[in-house]
Amino acid sequence: MMTQPVHVILSQGPTLHPQRRALEQQLVAELTNRGSVEILVVPHLYDLPADGPSIAALRQLVGPLVVLAWQYPRAIHWTLDQYGVRGRPGKTGLDPEDSANPAEAGPVDESADEPAGEPADEQPGPITATSAQTPRAAAVPSRPIYSLDLRQHETVHPYLEAIDRIIAMTNLAARLDAAHERFVSPDVHHVDEATKRRWYPVIDFSRCTHCLECIDFCLFGVYGIDESDRVLVELPDLCRKGCPACARVCPEQAIVFPQHKSSAIAGGAFEPGGLKMDLSSLFGAADDLLDAHQVAARERDEHLLLSGQRPAGAALAADQPASDAEPATTRRPARTDVSDASDASDASDTVDVDPLDALIDRLDALDV
Amino acid sequence: MSTDMTFLMGQYRATFPTDRLYAKNHMWARPRGDVLRFGFAAYAVRLLQDVYFLDWIVEAPTDLRLRQEIGAIESKKAESALVAPLAGRLTVFNDQLMADPSAINVDPYGEGWLFEMRASPDGLLTPEQYLAHLDAVWPVAQKTIKGQLNE
Repeated sequence: MMTQPVHVILSQGPTLHPQRRALEQQLVAELTNRGSVEILVVPHLYDLPADGPSIAALRQLVGPLVVLAWQYPRAIHWTLDQYGVRGRPGKTGLDPEDSANPAEAGPVDESADEPAGEPADEQPGPITATSAQTPRAAAVPSRPIYSLDLRQHETVHPYLEAIDRIIAMTNLAARLDAAHERFVSPDVHHVDEATKRRWYPVIDFSRCTHCLECIDFCLFGVYGIDESDRVLVELPDLCRKGCPACARVCPEQAIVFPQHKSSAIAGGAFEPGGLKMDLSSLFGAADDLLDAHQVAARERDEHLLLSGQRPAGAALAADQPASDAEPATTRRPARTDVSDASDASDASDTVDVDPLDALIDRLDALDV
Repeated sequence: MSTDMTFLMGQYRATFPTDRLYAKNHMWARPRGDVLRFGFAAYAVRLLQDVYFLDWIVEAPTDLRLRQEIGAIESKKAESALVAPLAGRLTVFNDQLMADPSAINVDPYGEGWLFEMRASPDGLLTPEQYLAHLDAVWPVAQKTIKGQLNE
């Protein structure tokens, strides 16, 4: 059996926050002292172009992956999956639900009874430039992918401990007793790739039931189905930047927008009973009158209007536009019967409400 | 550049060039051809301090309503949504800031510009009117800040 290193992928954050950059650098420095890892540093995972060198490098990797990135673990896993970098979610010991017993970190549950680490089970995902269109029917390899959210801790130690546990488990499982001799001076491979900010949905296929609600709801052509009638994000870059509406209508909370400010949409905690409404300033205080579907319909209308199309109103299916939809020239979403309250909040916008004064409300401290 | 006007924020002297207009959300606006170029005024930059991350949630070109949420900013001192200073058509964002937003701090009135809009400048303030606006909002801002510091 070929021995395999544990690949550690560090996805750099999109922000210049010095503490975050320092954490990344310290992690790389500490990991180079570990014998049995190979390190790949790439730009922010979510923004990577599907046909760029970072994704090409990720697709080459065989065997267990540890991925450190600035998004929720679930968002990390399914972002990679969409790129064709596939495996099964591994328990890191840092997941909130693991915190009761972090010592249980290790390979994925499903594979616990299988002969661990068989190379035949660890084929990487399909290596094609169009893997976003690869049918889900393609077998997902059983290799574990351990996703760690770098926003969770401010120091490197919890991550290093988790990685050490993963290395130990992997070495045991794959009987890689000689690994430390083979990988005495680990490689740090740094892919320096220019990226642009992207915005697209990521499907959590561990939850998706292929009910196709998202296809019916999204009027921008983002979603498609493969030959087995299973949903996929066919044209991610048709997605309207900032629009998370399909995530709100998904009955299984299977759609993730990793960059959304609401954790339930960004791949964090599940909301029992479905997604709650977004109380952002976009719709003002009137939002607590809206359920997730109504918010979603309004968000979709906003983005339809921005793209020069007619609003569809509250109708969920593309072929059932609301009959009371107003012409696009009003530059307002179609009005539903609950939108009057938010019109009132629009009226209050003409009063002196200063957005930057609202900003001050959030300041931690200011040395004036 | 013409003589700047100044506003005292505590010990800090915020300067405002008089060759442009200002919006109440503390952005400056300077006509360039048929568009207005916007950036953060010194008042905003002082409150934000070092900018680490700038993100836009709309794509240019696009039509905007007044105060429509268009993005977010993260800095040493704050995180905030950003909103449209005017209703109109946003034509272009300053792409240079996406990889490195530090020009907002280094050159707020020049290279640190944020975006350009085709919009009526009605509703913008002259430098004199903007300073009067600051006189009105600064005491409130101070109270808010001090209230938070005492917590």
